[in-house]
Amino acid sequence: MIEIKDLKKIYAGVTVVDVPHLEIRKGESIGLIGNNGAGKTTLFRTILDLIRPEKGEVLSRGENVAHSENWKKYTAAYLDESFLIDYLTPEEYFYFIGGLHQQTHAYVDDHLTSLTDFFNGEILNKGKYIRDLSKGNQCKVGVAACLLQNPELLMLDEPFANIDPSTQIRLKNFLKDLNKSRGITTIVSSHDLSHVTEVCERILLMEKGKIIKDIATSSGTLRELEEYFAVS
Amino acid sequence: MTLTFIRHELKSFWRSKNTGKTVAIRIIMGVLILYLLLNVLVVAFFLDKILEKSFPTQDLITAFCGIVLYYFLFDLLMRFQLQELPTLRVQPYLLLPVKKNAIIRYLSFASLQSFFNLWPLILFTPFIFKVIKHGHGLGAAWLFMVAILALTIFNNYLSLYIKRRSNLNGWVSIGFAALLVLLGASDFAWHVISFSKISFLYFGHLLTQPALVLAPVIMALVIYYINFLYLKGNLYLEELSSRKTSYKSSTEIPLLDKFGQVGDLVANEIKLILRNKRSRSALTMTLMFMFYGLIFYTNKVYGDGWKVFCGMFMTGIFIINYGQFMYGWQAGHFDGILVSKVKFRDFLKAKYLLFTMVSFVAFILTTPYAYFGWHIVLVHFVMFIWNIGVNTTIVLFFANRNYKRIDLSKGASFNWEGVGATQLLLGFPLFILPFVIYGPLAFFKHPDIALAILASVGILFIITRNYWIKLLESDFHEKKYKIAEGFRAK
Repeated sequence: MIEIKDLKKIYAGVTVVDVPHLEIRKGESIGLIGNNGAGKTTLFRTILDLIRPEKGEVLSRGENVAHSENWKKYTAAYLDESFLIDYLTPEEYFYFIGGLHQQTHAYVDDHLTSLTDFFNGEILNKGKYIRDLSKGNQCKVGVAACLLQNPELLMLDEPFANIDPSTQIRLKNFLKDLNKSRGITTIVSSHDLSHVTEVCERILLMEKGKIIKDIATSSGTLRELEEYFAVS
Repeated sequence: MTLTFIRHELKSFWRSKNTGKTVAIRIIMGVLILYLLLNVLVVAFFLDKILEKSFPTQDLITAFCGIVLYYFLFDLLMRFQLQELPTLRVQPYLLLPVKKNAIIRYLSFASLQSFFNLWPLILFTPFIFKVIKHGHGLGAAWLFMVAILALTIFNNYLSLYIKRRSNLNGWVSIGFAALLVLLGASDFAWHVISFSKISFLYFGHLLTQPALVLAPVIMALVIYYINFLYLKGNLYLEELSSRKTSYKSSTEIPLLDKFGQVGDLVANEIKLILRNKRSRSALTMTLMFMFYGLIFYTNKVYGDGWKVFCGMFMTGIFIINYGQFMYGWQAGHFDGILVSKVKFRDFLKAKYLLFTMVSFVAFILTTPYAYFGWHIVLVHFVMFIWNIGVNTTIVLFFANRNYKRIDLSKGASFNWEGVGATQLLLGFPLFILPFVIYGPLAFFKHPDIALAILASVGILFIITRNYWIKLLESDFHEKKYKIAEGFRAK
């Protein structure tokens, strides 16, 4: 699905991402972890062609993301609030995103009904612009917009950070379900080790821009990661 | 404590990203402010001559005493429109062990550092020390100074107080505006009261009864205290911020459905313009400019060349005024656009469509200028074609070179955010190009041919629009990382 070759991103002389080779196969669920400044968000941004790497390339289905825009058809991502059009109401935003994928209003409404539990009555028909929602609720809007696009590749940057415990559990169930029953490739970053090990089958651990661990999740993974992050 | 606050304030000013960083911006800002200051100074120093000319029957001091109150009424109106509330900056201090009174005193003090408090002093000081000191002695001059200073402070806190109240209750602002209009009308239209008389009644008697100076001073102190108490009672975040909470309904613009995805993008942008403070003022400016022609067409001094100038501005001010900051308006969700399925070609087409629509509405609104001759409407139409053909393309070319984000929630007055070299450079082709064509031909008495050429070039650009879109698109793909990076930097 995704192949990264010889990727390097440098900010003011400091290498923030340095990935010689990484392959993510279709249907994998990837958990990306690492302390602040490890380069997780920068890696996300290079995969989404939002920043130009100094060296190397990112291939999505064999096509360089910087040269072709085909990846946009099957990729959905939510990194932060700058992905939302904040002066729209959530409904308007969903209709807009749906419209980009040739979905009718009825289709979008239908899809949103299936997310009623996830929204927990906080998003729809509240008479608020997205900018007036709390960070957690903005995150719900972002994730819902991703799901609406029926992607084959889903990328979420710290989706668990601002949402309430019930929504965290629902989101984990969504992610597992999308991956298992629909074969969607997911890449999720998080600081919560138990969430990641629960949802993802493969864990990438980043430190200072490098992927220093690439492990298949097993029963001992959580302990292993906790040991890595433990402070002495 | 107040000193610490002031130090922080200075730091926030110098370290803010919007304090014009480039030398060019600083120079332009400096020149503009100097120019304004110079204008006021000229008026100030010749106030006696101006008053002599305007009120030949009255003696100078009587005339002066008659106008002071008018100035302060006008001042109040302007403050109400333009002065910004110094509010949110106190947020970080609210939960620190700092006395509330200290915070409020600082807030009140900070509000004094506004240009509005400088104008009356600059404007009246020369006259007071030239004429009043000459006629009634130094003591009287200082009495006037104190009275004017007190009125300035009174106005300052009154306008802030009313603004703060209207943040909580929109009716206060409407009521206040209505009151000002009513006062104005009862003087100028109905002649029930005369501010000139009231003004003279006070300032005239000030010369003979120095104790009267206490009246404005007490007024200023009282309003300061009212403001102080009000702030103290309402020093809560949600009440300080100017956010109003009313039900926001989703809307659709059915007409735009016909244009498919491009129409959706235009609908979004129209919502952007209408739902955000700064962009809304760009639109208001467009409407104000519809009266621009009255300045030039009512006066025979201005020849036909001015029609080209007026026509370009009136039908194209939105393209210039809103377009100069593109795509900075969308900085807040630019990453989202780049990742979404929106083709940049459609994105550009949406801009063209938006400009064409607004420009067309502006052209329709200017048709009443036919009163001054049908030729004007013809020129306006030619310039409308020019605007949607050539100027839109120029503006979008520069939009690809604009890396500055715009914070939509801030007001437009005295807001230099997003202003950079791009905006200055953009001005040259926009203003000069039509006159490069029109000027020489008009000089050789062929203005009609000039208009025909302007129209043809405009039409040519409209026909070849897809070609320009393609060029702009490949240009954009070269620069998009830099644009997105600039927009991410808050």
